Amino acid sequence: MTSYEVTLEWTDGRTRTLDVAESQTVLEAAQRVGARLPYDCRSGTCITCVGRLLGLGDDGTDDEDASRPDVRDAFAYRRQPRALTDDEQDEGYVLLCIASPQADCRIEVGPRVRAEVGDSPWA
Amino acid sequence: MSDTSTPGDVEPGHDHEHHHEGPGYATPQAAIEESEREQLAYVMSLYVGTDVDAPDFVAVVDLDPDSETYCEIVDRVEMPERGDELHHFGWNACSSSCHMDGLERRHLIVPGQRSSRIHVIDAKDRRNPELETVIEPEDVFEYDLSAPHTVHCIPDGQILISMLGDADGELPGGFLELNEDFEIEGRWEPPGEIEMNYDYWYQPRQNVMVSTEWAAPKTYYPGFDLEDVEAGNYGRKLHVWDWEAGTVEQTIDLGEEGQIPLEVRFLHTPESTHGFVGTALSSNMFHFWRDESADEYRAEKVIDFESREHEDWDMPVPGLTTDILISMDDRYLFGSNWLHGEVWMYDISDPSNPRRADSLSVGGTFGEIQEVQGRELAGGPQMLQLSLDGERLYWTTSLFSSWDDQFYPEEAERGSVMLKADVDPRRGTLELDEDFLVDWGDCPAGPARAHEIRWPDGDCTSDVWQ
Repeated sequence: MTSYEVTLEWTDGRTRTLDVAESQTVLEAAQRVGARLPYDCRSGTCITCVGRLLGLGDDGTDDEDASRPDVRDAFAYRRQPRALTDDEQDEGYVLLCIASPQADCRIEVGPRVRAEVGDSPWA
Repeated sequence: MSDTSTPGDVEPGHDHEHHHEGPGYATPQAAIEESEREQLAYVMSLYVGTDVDAPDFVAVVDLDPDSETYCEIVDRVEMPERGDELHHFGWNACSSSCHMDGLERRHLIVPGQRSSRIHVIDAKDRRNPELETVIEPEDVFEYDLSAPHTVHCIPDGQILISMLGDADGELPGGFLELNEDFEIEGRWEPPGEIEMNYDYWYQPRQNVMVSTEWAAPKTYYPGFDLEDVEAGNYGRKLHVWDWEAGTVEQTIDLGEEGQIPLEVRFLHTPESTHGFVGTALSSNMFHFWRDESADEYRAEKVIDFESREHEDWDMPVPGLTTDILISMDDRYLFGSNWLHGEVWMYDISDPSNPRRADSLSVGGTFGEIQEVQGRELAGGPQMLQLSLDGERLYWTTSLFSSWDDQFYPEEAERGSVMLKADVDPRRGTLELDEDFLVDWGDCPAGPARAHEIRWPDGDCTSDVWQ
């Protein structure tokens, strides 16, 4: 079974690299090894679990790199990511509860990523 | 166990010792140890807002799994008039009066939220309670108050009711006090302490009470309108009271993330200054506590339920965290996300950092389970009640008649349901009990809604300790 190396990078500097099978979501793989990620709906309708793609493989690029890889190439979605707009996907945001990796990649995770994405009118 | 029995009146199977003379339990842990499994539930049941021409009623539900009428409504106490909108209710006495010889947990105070009529039900016979007294709306309006909501007893036999409006259904609201003969004693607080009101909880050993805010009755009676939120007609503040003096000592504005703070719960241990409030519209949980160094209370958002996208909605759907409760052992905070269709439990052993233990996706807009025993749920989980031992969580599905009609119009036609989950408080898990279903769709006069739930001998949202 194909699997990919996904490195989670928290905004406080912690990192953790997981083996994620291509049939598995990033959230599922994280939970399996006890890496805590925020989540709520588990169906792509809210942005609790949102992460941001930093780079593909071990290419050393970071989020300042002009040639940000397309998040659509890096992940396959199990369901429609309803909670993300096209613009947010263009900016690299990804819903980890329904996203399975298609390549080795690095993702910024944690509540601060969620704070960057637009809020609902209900606060 | 029924604590209507007088001291010394030993019932069969009632072989444990009481170390106090009044109603209730000496401590929260005593409530866990001494209580038996709930055999009956009282549930607010209503026809307001449906085409059934009948008065609201208090349903007596059989919760004894060994009974032939398990999961059935075995008695109904009908109100004398139509259109009350029964909502929340409470006892004349709870564990806070356990020092009071002769006082019994015997009378249910049952207000009509919409009518402002206040009913007193004698529940000496737990299975067949009877209407005893009615306080008519006109007598309530005389104190320039209306829209009764939360009922708690005051430790010496009086009863305090939060009132959401003035006599015209506008602001300000306040608090109405009844004496032990169920007559209006008067206004509890000096007028003008607050504008909006909703729920309250008191912690007498800390001489504190915290009250919350919904809106003026004229705002929420007709239904929910987003423009009212934008116009600031809905609340977002907590009021911290001096319990003895009946005055507001501090008001905490929860801000944009704290819109419509509804149910408020202190931890049960009487020493604690910690509590939680669910801000329904913002769908966040706030933890509040007394900051000793600053000599004041603080509130901080500790759980944020994100809105979800649904194709039938023009904007993200908020969770609408309409009810919360704390287990008697103060270990878990339970709550309902009425619009999403979810009940959840968080470990609050570190109250500043709640940890999600488990949740159930059932009913509502997004619930994975949409029917139980072939019955479509037609609504989301709403009012909760937990067994005193913390092992069974029950809930009903109606919020408020006019709001139900907006979000779950089918509920008026099908009636509400009461559901149950088994809780493992050691492992922190919830499991839906698919064998349990109480269906208000089968009521003789027609489908009814169901709201707040209470046990005959005290529960996690009624009892306070001195």
